[in-house]
Amino acid sequence: MMSALGFFGRALLARPRFAVGYAIVALVVLAALFAPWVAPYSPVEANPNEFLELPSRAHLFGTDAVGMDIFSRAITAPRIDLTIAILGTLLSSVVGTALGALVGFYSVGRGPKVWLSFAVMRAADVLQAFPVFVFAIALVAALGQSIETVVLAIAFVNMPIYLRLMRSQVLSIRAMRYVEAAKVAGVSDATTIRRHIIPNAIAPVLAQLSINVGWGILLTSALSFVGAGVRAPTPEWGSMISMGFQNVVTGQWWPSVFPGLSLAITVFGFSLVGASIEMLSDPARRQTLAQEMERRNARAAARQLVKAGI
Amino acid sequence: MRVARYLLQRLAFVLPQLVGIVLVSFLLVKSIPGDPAVLMLGPTATPDAIAGLRSQMGLDQPLYWQFLLYLDHLAHGDLGTSWQTTRPVLEDLIQRFPATLELVTYSLILAILVGMALGIASALNPKGWVGRLADVYGLSAGALPDFWFALVLIFVFYTLAHWAPAPLGRLDISVLAPQPVTGFMTIDTLLAGDFEAFRSAVAHLVLPVLTLGLINAGPIMKMTQSSMEKMLTSDASRYEELCGIPQRLVTRHALRNALPSIVTIISVLYGYLIGGAVLVEIVFSWGGAGQYAVQGVLNSDIYPVLGFVLFSAIFSLLVYIIVDLVYVLVDPRISH
Repeated sequence: MMSALGFFGRALLARPRFAVGYAIVALVVLAALFAPWVAPYSPVEANPNEFLELPSRAHLFGTDAVGMDIFSRAITAPRIDLTIAILGTLLSSVVGTALGALVGFYSVGRGPKVWLSFAVMRAADVLQAFPVFVFAIALVAALGQSIETVVLAIAFVNMPIYLRLMRSQVLSIRAMRYVEAAKVAGVSDATTIRRHIIPNAIAPVLAQLSINVGWGILLTSALSFVGAGVRAPTPEWGSMISMGFQNVVTGQWWPSVFPGLSLAITVFGFSLVGASIEMLSDPARRQTLAQEMERRNARAAARQLVKAGI
Repeated sequence: MRVARYLLQRLAFVLPQLVGIVLVSFLLVKSIPGDPAVLMLGPTATPDAIAGLRSQMGLDQPLYWQFLLYLDHLAHGDLGTSWQTTRPVLEDLIQRFPATLELVTYSLILAILVGMALGIASALNPKGWVGRLADVYGLSAGALPDFWFALVLIFVFYTLAHWAPAPLGRLDISVLAPQPVTGFMTIDTLLAGDFEAFRSAVAHLVLPVLTLGLINAGPIMKMTQSSMEKMLTSDASRYEELCGIPQRLVTRHALRNALPSIVTIISVLYGYLIGGAVLVEIVFSWGGAGQYAVQGVLNSDIYPVLGFVLFSAIFSLLVYIIVDLVYVLVDPRISH
């Protein structure tokens, strides 16, 4: 028997793309943790004598229009972006998964719980019919511009995804014999949902988590780009891109390009991690991968035998 | 007959949903702080003047009454007045919505071309370099912030190469806008026979369309790839291959069967892009409907926001209904 961790490690070796994803995520998390000790300059203090300087050894990514060091700001930004995206994703997934499990469990038959489930689904329809970005800005504007409201906006926008995902999972699982058996054995609904349904339905939700953290970062930066999210001079990728907007048009590319690249690479990393979780949590695809690795090992062993024979 | 019954069924679901959307957005934008009466009259207004305007706008009424009033106005085709442009929202939207629609439509066409071509090619050869390229393209297209990608394109093609015009609207400032007929700049200029204006309109479309098209090709590609792969490995396709039918024909038949799911994702994307193009509109000063709504939110101008949400919701619903209708007419399996 191979251990789960060993399998995971060898799966990463077999799919180097996924290893890249994990490396990017690790790097971004490290930057968020240690930026204050690594950054060569203060991320919020301007040096008016050194504005719009080209990338150089003193300023790796150059300086922006007011003279702040772009490298220091770009590596400090994940502190805000990552925190907002992770909190928003966690909030939406916890609420969405719980609601989705209930709605899925009580979707057939009669009674007030079933009507309530129907109402929740129609509310989700309405929520999803909104233009996402306009809805998010309106929410931030209504609740007052702050980090907490951006978190709430991300949670609101993503909740229907988890709701639907969990509901469709539960719909297929609730027809299983073991759920029926639990009912016959007199297990309460709450215990059945908690002990038997959620653990068997959770895998696709986990894959969605990582992908959604990436989307959360994109939404946070988009809100900040139009001035409805995190305010300058707090280091945040979207607001940095927005500050450099005019400079790009006149030829100074670095104030916008570097934060945008950091942002894109980060989201790319989280998508890769999500894709790897999706593959590893799918038993069929995991088996294909295991077979592929086995064949590879067998070929390597055969090659060694041939070599030894010669 | 069948179609009529289907439409009636759909409308029965759609109308309550529309009312729900209007209700939620009404409550949302009403809770945005900032008194429109104060903003309209400016800082020098007397309290009496503000109170007068408030009662004239119905702002002194209870919230549920204001909502009913709004619904009543809606039923008469009145979407309220924007205090920023001081024009009826309906007029503003009729002017701006086609701008967004033109941008989004061309972007979607580009996204379909790129997405379906890459998707089909990678489904035919998943292990080859096209398949790998498609995988990486799908992941990175989803990771790029569109507003940043637009900026990079502007830098390369406007600032450096001078190939593209300045990102300031839909036409050069020196070019006279044609008489609006369809609202699509490319069509109106041709109708007016003004080829210089047509060239200018196309030139202004290139960069925003590239931005939105290349980024949104990702989901179309993924859907094409997965449903084509499923169809190509199906028993029907294998049987055709066994019978010695040429690969081109097998592929074409598989595509025909994969089309419904591809069309579905395209229709969802069309509706999404109406609101999703906002940031690109802002970067290119496009003057579209999304930009109008965002300005509304940022300046406590609520009627443009409500009008935009309503317009885009109705547009999405129309697209879905048309797509469903096409299915009903084309696919014999669904009609029963």
